[in-house]
Amino acid sequence: MRTNEDVLRGLMIDGLDGDAAAHTTLLRLLVPLLRGFYRRRVRGADDDVEDLVQETLIAVHTRRATYDWDRAFTAWVFAIARYKMVDHFRRAGRLRPIDDLEETLIADDFEAAAIARLDIDDLLAGLPPKQARMIRATRIDGLSVAEAASADGIGESDVKISVHRGLKALIARVQRPAQ
Amino acid sequence: MKTDDLILSLARDTRPIRRDAIRRRIAAGLIAGGIVSAVFIAFSIGLRPDLWLAMQGAAFWIKWGYTLSLSAAAMAMTVQLARPDSDRVRGLWLTAVPVILLAGIGLIELALTPRADWLAMWLGHSWQACPLIVFTLSIPIFGGLLWSFRSLAPTRLRAAGAAAGLLAGAFSATIYCIHCPEVSAVFVLTWYSLGILLTTLLGTLLGPRLLRW
Repeated sequence: MRTNEDVLRGLMIDGLDGDAAAHTTLLRLLVPLLRGFYRRRVRGADDDVEDLVQETLIAVHTRRATYDWDRAFTAWVFAIARYKMVDHFRRAGRLRPIDDLEETLIADDFEAAAIARLDIDDLLAGLPPKQARMIRATRIDGLSVAEAASADGIGESDVKISVHRGLKALIARVQRPAQ
Repeated sequence: MKTDDLILSLARDTRPIRRDAIRRRIAAGLIAGGIVSAVFIAFSIGLRPDLWLAMQGAAFWIKWGYTLSLSAAAMAMTVQLARPDSDRVRGLWLTAVPVILLAGIGLIELALTPRADWLAMWLGHSWQACPLIVFTLSIPIFGGLLWSFRSLAPTRLRAAGAAAGLLAGAFSATIYCIHCPEVSAVFVLTWYSLGILLTTLLGTLLGPRLLRW
């Protein structure tokens, strides 16, 4: 099942109407989204990430009355996730560097970014591993061609060709009408 | 616990939730607290003996109009701040409307009263007690609202605390009207509002501590 706003919102509303199966599916679909969200932001043990994921799931469940049906569902979920993360740092008594904190506080379409990331993961999974790795390194992680080449122990022209072929394949796939 | 087990145990209690659940939950806390305050008045300082008669006059309804409309505006803000994604609070200006209207009535009242009586009208008989009583009566109501917030999800705790404090104060002032015999608009505008302001301040201070979840 595709994880996107419309699907999640539909499941949430069914859950609010008392549909336990929809609610279960919703919580399950949130797990990878939340893991991705916290993994990128909480540097620490996987246990911390899993604790945060569970705490967020509990909050999503027990405080689901606070979802406004007319508003974006993912914005609501990520607002809870952000709150739980800030609370986590406060409890850990850890001071975060300011530029990091800013990134945490600015709500610049986390949800869109997270969902886009899922889509990208889907797409890249269909490519040969080297092409996927090179696209990720140069286009997503922002490495230069030289950096990507030395990180992978291959030549620069190899990197360029991999990226080029990979992107071409991706474009072809995206442009093909959805089945 | 494994995340998957957690999900199953959470989903086991999937009860239907009404769309207006936040409003009902806040109203429940507000009314429960309000009943405690009203009972407290009845057994301590007492209801005003002429309550029934007073309720047929304009002065009583001007007071209630002020405190109830302020409560409604505070309620609207509290509901918004009870949601995690409350980025911008709409309707803040609504809280100014009752104040401006009451100030207008106060000006008319002053114009109709000889200057020599202004001070007596402003201070009434209970100006020293009034703000403190409004503040005291607001505490059970604020407690009721804290209960409401236990299943809500505020993320701007200071703002949510302030809104809940304003709501508790305005509703406490509403309850206080069943005792308070003062009739002047300038009295209400000053001393009631001072009590409400104290409660708002309390909420602002306590919000970040008490509303955490």
